Amino acid sequence: MAAGLLEVGVAIAVLALAGMVALRVGLSVIPAYIVAGILVGPNPPTSVAGVSLQIVPTGEFVAIAAEIGIVLLLFFLGLEFSVGQLLTDWRRITATGTVDFLINFGLGVALGIAFGRTPLETVFIAGVVYISSSAIVTKSLIEQGWVANPEADSILGTLVYEDVLIAVYLAVLTAVVGGAGEPSAVAVDVARAFAVLGAIAAVAWYATEYVERAFDLPTDELFLLSVVGTTTLIAGAALATGVSEAVAAFFVGTAFSQTGHVEKIEDLVAPVRDFFAAVFFLSIGLETDVTLLSDVALLLGVAVVATTLSKLVSGTIGGRIYGLSPTRSLRTGIGLVPRGEFSLVIAALATSAGGTLAEVVPAFAVGYVLAMSVVGTVLIQEADSVTGTLVPLFERS
Amino acid sequence: MTIYETEVPGVGHKFEMDLDGDERLVVIIHHDGKRDVYRRPDPDADSEQLFSLTGKQARQLGSILEGAYFQPVELDEVEVPLGDAIIEWYEVGDSELAGQTLKQADLRDRIGVSVIAIQRGDETIPNPRPGTRIEVQDTVVAIGTREEQQALSDFLGE
Repeated sequence: MAAGLLEVGVAIAVLALAGMVALRVGLSVIPAYIVAGILVGPNPPTSVAGVSLQIVPTGEFVAIAAEIGIVLLLFFLGLEFSVGQLLTDWRRITATGTVDFLINFGLGVALGIAFGRTPLETVFIAGVVYISSSAIVTKSLIEQGWVANPEADSILGTLVYEDVLIAVYLAVLTAVVGGAGEPSAVAVDVARAFAVLGAIAAVAWYATEYVERAFDLPTDELFLLSVVGTTTLIAGAALATGVSEAVAAFFVGTAFSQTGHVEKIEDLVAPVRDFFAAVFFLSIGLETDVTLLSDVALLLGVAVVATTLSKLVSGTIGGRIYGLSPTRSLRTGIGLVPRGEFSLVIAALATSAGGTLAEVVPAFAVGYVLAMSVVGTVLIQEADSVTGTLVPLFERS
Repeated sequence: MTIYETEVPGVGHKFEMDLDGDERLVVIIHHDGKRDVYRRPDPDADSEQLFSLTGKQARQLGSILEGAYFQPVELDEVEVPLGDAIIEWYEVGDSELAGQTLKQADLRDRIGVSVIAIQRGDETIPNPRPGTRIEVQDTVVAIGTREEQQALSDFLGE
């Protein structure tokens, strides 16, 4: 018991320290949590200057808390998923999102093939490099004041499209990874996953009124417990039947998105999400063996440069689709560069798959997210000098 | 005037309002109730944040802007346009006043109030003459100090 409590205490204290450091240097907390996990985890480096840092074992608490973190991250993605915005603005969102998907996911596929990865690894790599980090992007938008500018529409529109696509992507990949392996069996597994998720989605869509009443609870405490309990229960049940727990949680989130409970959830459940998500990022760091990074170093280096540029290109095209000026269009691209939590959710899925998939993809994803969360945040902070340099070049040509 | 409302996923709601010329006011209402107010001088310019308010501050500012804001004040400090005088309405009923002309009732000398109007059914007689007769069921509109009004009220047996 004492060991377990110590494990939890050390993990949380390490997170708090890492968060303070990140705040001090003005970067996102996500890379800080991962680095903290790498430093204190069981994989090398296990000591710095002779002092052992191997203080957090990957115990049961961290593993389960990390899983709850994934579930709550996707739950909020569903909660904040704006069906209304998608419906009113679907033309521009579809056009911009498709460009974003084709260019960035396509580039990921090209990278996987060029580096001789297996088809499944390639699909994972493409997913990791494709999806921008809602958490970092949204936070940066507010900090830069862009949220009040027209480029917020194209950036957030792209995120909405990515949210839908990542749900489908995770659903398919979970079924494939957990499935039997034979193409026909995989097809059955995918179909079954979609049937289950379709059922959850249908209930979510039609149960708005029921959810509204069922969660009309007298105390905040009861409300918090009911929401987290329901979400975890449905996600757990989905996972037990071989369906993506993350996508199930996404649909539970959408069931709440149409009710009047959204603000209360943002108030009460968001801190719980932040807690478990932080443990999730830490656990990713704990499981990362940085010596494996050398195996993917070249792929990583090429991917960082290429996918930074590809987001700038796809974002600029997206901005033009929204009828924005060259500066604002380029900003759309800059805003979408940070990758984060969802790339790591994909990596966590790869870890659970085992085999070579569990070695290559997570190491790549961790290195990639560390680089892109920092590159993305810095690019956004320096956006004015970036657009000031690049936009005149385009205008002359 | 058009106000544009959009959902900002993960943040809250955004409202945009056209001001004079190309200027636009942008209000972001965060899920936690915080309001950020921005001003965009023209479509090409960047939004500058003007100020940030809590939900409560925003509601108070809102009602000030609406002209509906008031704070309860001490009644003693109220300044009214008539000085000490107030205006009251009295049902005459079948008191001894009924049937008398204003000259006969002589309310100004006896009590101090002045009758400035008489309401009779749907009809109002403004600035009635001394010869105007008060009838049963009339409503008398009188101006006077608080004490004089009280005296009239007692006189009418209310």
